[in-house]
Amino acid sequence: MAVSQPTPVETRPGRPLGPRIWRWVIAVVILVAAAWSVTGLNVSVDRLLNASGDAWNVIKRMWPPAFSIEIKRGVIGKVLQSIYIAWVGTVIGAILSLPLSFLAAGNVSPRLIRLPIRQVFNAIRSVPELIVAVILIAVTGLGPWAGALAIGLHSIGTLGKLSSEAIENIDAGPIEAVDAAGGRWISAMRWAVLPQVLPVVVSYWLFRFEINVRASAVLGLIGAGGIGSELVSQLNFRNFPEVGAVLFVTIVAVITIDLLSSALRRAIIQGGAGPDQSRSGEALEDLTGMSLA
Amino acid sequence: MTAPSSPPTTWPTKPRPRVSILIGAILAIAFTVYSARQVDMRFSTFADVWTNPLWEKFWPIPWEWVFDRRNVINPLIETFQIAIISTVIGCSIALPVSFAMSRLTTPNSVTYYSSRVVMNIVRAIPDLFWAKLLVTAVGVGAFAGSWALSIFSLAVMVKLFSEDIDGADPRPLEAAKAAGGRHIPSVATGVFPTVFPAYVSYSLYVFELNIRASLVLGLVGAGGVGRVIEAQRQFFRFGRILGILVIIFVVVVVLEQVSVAVRKRLV
Repeated sequence: MAVSQPTPVETRPGRPLGPRIWRWVIAVVILVAAAWSVTGLNVSVDRLLNASGDAWNVIKRMWPPAFSIEIKRGVIGKVLQSIYIAWVGTVIGAILSLPLSFLAAGNVSPRLIRLPIRQVFNAIRSVPELIVAVILIAVTGLGPWAGALAIGLHSIGTLGKLSSEAIENIDAGPIEAVDAAGGRWISAMRWAVLPQVLPVVVSYWLFRFEINVRASAVLGLIGAGGIGSELVSQLNFRNFPEVGAVLFVTIVAVITIDLLSSALRRAIIQGGAGPDQSRSGEALEDLTGMSLA
Repeated sequence: MTAPSSPPTTWPTKPRPRVSILIGAILAIAFTVYSARQVDMRFSTFADVWTNPLWEKFWPIPWEWVFDRRNVINPLIETFQIAIISTVIGCSIALPVSFAMSRLTTPNSVTYYSSRVVMNIVRAIPDLFWAKLLVTAVGVGAFAGSWALSIFSLAVMVKLFSEDIDGADPRPLEAAKAAGGRHIPSVATGVFPTVFPAYVSYSLYVFELNIRASLVLGLVGAGGVGRVIEAQRQFFRFGRILGILVIIFVVVVVLEQVSVAVRKRLV
């Protein structure tokens, strides 16, 4: 039976008011916060206007970079030392975090063991590695080994968190199979869990290595050796052409390692790798310790 | 009746390890050993470190010193100010640059490649290198630090956000262009609304990153609470440093909780 449709009334819905108010509130809050921050920086208008000129001056004086002087001073050896520090730190972090991450994963570890280990991971991650290095350098003495230890310690926290999350995402079938066949816990870990997570975990290690190269370069600034210490000594004498050369070498090294490592990671996780988007999500997660979800 | 004959048990052969993996593992181990020598690795550290008399200086924590406003709280506020201003500056500049850096929305290939090259170079220099450079260029203090972090958060933000724009649905943009829209209005109406939530959530991340970075900026003279740590470590006042660490720890944890709560509401 046909029911006659009432003719629709021509009314357009008004734009909702709520979101618009919120938008303004947030904008005002951000502006106020920014203004408050500027007052804390103790900058006069004068300095603000001159600053970009000063910065530009410094950049101009770096040209041309004094490559020959820097190569004589052993800049290549120093950048390699930064890479060695990062690598040793990553290996320390990888070796120590792997067993711990099994104990921290929700699906294979009992609550009583899991929770304290997770807290340890969180505690480690929340202290910047530079501050760890400040303390370690005081205790173990200046040098690259202190830097490697600081990086390794910090990597335990980040790698442990990422690896234990990888373990939580595995297929539970193989674990059940080992259980059904009467296998012990350790056998389940070795034969059911490890083969599933190893490619992902190794790619996390490589990814951490990329981050650690930057970290170890920075550690040089406070006396842990490597390219950072060369930057500091040249900057303190205001030898800008040499600084330019140091920066150039750093950029080349960092970009080369990023490219090599990401190619390797792509080879390790064939097909399983998500788009670049999720990789930068991982990067952020690693740096901030927070998940993007 | 004959008993059913049991099938012959055949074991699957154990797969041989792939040559590439084998070579990779050997290379990795060799490189590890070589690097360990290069960094003067010594296991004795693990034994010696516990008996070091310096540990005694870590205790007790002088809380009345730590909670004195001038000592730690004011530099900590400065840290927040550096983080806020550099997030605002970095993220605002990142908005147009990201659109220029995405294949989908870039106006032409010259802007695309030039912005990409510049941003990759900026990102390859670690954040504290920027801080140290700017301290030399514009003088010691929070100003240099906030400038350094602005540059660095611009680079990080642009990388993240431009990849999000790459992944956006191209059809609204095509529709806007087909209707005769010019480039910038088409992007603003066709792409911007779909990627704006990602922009907000990345901005929050960058803010958190900046807080963490600004805690250590002071170690190279760029302002914030790191300046106090640097000053105290020169006099081996580790008790004070430990007190500052406790406060930093609390700040980071609280921040993480707040940030999670805010992002849950937004996304």
